[in-house]
Amino acid sequence: MRPDDRHYLSSHEWIKISGETGIIGITDFAVEELSSGNEGDLVYCDLPEVGRVLENGETFGEIESVKAVADLNTPLAGEVSEVNTAIEDHLEIVAEDPWERGWMIKIKLSNKDTGKLLSAAAYEEILAKQS
Amino acid sequence: MGLWRSITTWGAPPSFNMGLDEALLEDLEAEPTARFYSWKPDTLSLGYFQKYEGVAGTSSAGAVVRRITGGGAIHHVNELTYSLTADDSHPVFAGKLGESYQRIHAAIAQALATFGVEATIRGRDTVLDSERDDTGMCFHKSSCEDLVWGARKGVGSAQRRKNGRVLHHGSIKLGTTPLEGEIATVGQIAGKIDPSKVAEAVRHAFAEQLEMQFEIAVPTPAERHHAHVLGSRYLDPEFVRRR
Repeated sequence: MRPDDRHYLSSHEWIKISGETGIIGITDFAVEELSSGNEGDLVYCDLPEVGRVLENGETFGEIESVKAVADLNTPLAGEVSEVNTAIEDHLEIVAEDPWERGWMIKIKLSNKDTGKLLSAAAYEEILAKQS
Repeated sequence: MGLWRSITTWGAPPSFNMGLDEALLEDLEAEPTARFYSWKPDTLSLGYFQKYEGVAGTSSAGAVVRRITGGGAIHHVNELTYSLTADDSHPVFAGKLGESYQRIHAAIAQALATFGVEATIRGRDTVLDSERDDTGMCFHKSSCEDLVWGARKGVGSAQRRKNGRVLHHGSIKLGTTPLEGEIATVGQIAGKIDPSKVAEAVRHAFAEQLEMQFEIAVPTPAERHHAHVLGSRYLDPEFVRRR
């Protein structure tokens, strides 16, 4: 079971809400899909500048593995308040721990309406249909 | 795996080649589409995240573009380039990323066998004779799903995944170039061969192994327009040298 303290997109991003802040990352499924299970397969990641304003679902960055480039989308709207620069040169952190140390950005939420986002259970149902 | 459009364009300009692939990726309503194409002029394409200065060939190649797919640089000379574009839920792309490569590459291997090439998927823990450091070229690096023969890489491939769509780029080498050197080519086994013959064999193998049914097509006027609009940035120095 994926962590149920956050919400998900079907494109495999998660958001964890802490007060006025949303912490955003990608799921273990996204890591596995991009990397075929090899930690060293994630090679590049472009993250936004602090201060960029993001709309619901907007692409905030891109990640590349040895075999694919994929967009990174924000589940909720807000202004980027912090970027996890530690992962940009060390994507193995995302591979090892996508739920905590591998977070990507924090945003100051402009809305907290999670009604259109997926719960952990709903996200897992989608994964089950894909496999 | 359903009906696919087959679009063939020989000797097209790099901006058109890249613009049309991006247009097909961006159009959420587009039918599954296979393209088979070549380039005029000869073109060096950089991977999306590659540093321009990190690819030695940029100074000697004529035209240089940056792809929206990742990986290393490819010198598009004497090769068959192909692309497959469909939803990520399509059976060709569904499941784990590696599985989609294996599916596609198994069909390519069957196609190459008709020319006497015994291509196999590289597998884990194998070092190829074509590996070279510091050139930035796609064919000098390999991963476990790559197609190889004679201990060298002969097919380069990469994917872009966006908005529930997938663009799969592939490059099948028919001959080599000074930038790519000693890599595997179909020409080493089969002699000089026209890319259209290889495209025909690939289409046949896709139909047989992946149950893809093809209808010969041309880009719609809307796709041509979109390709033209999107294509202009591929030669824009700001995009080509963005890293």
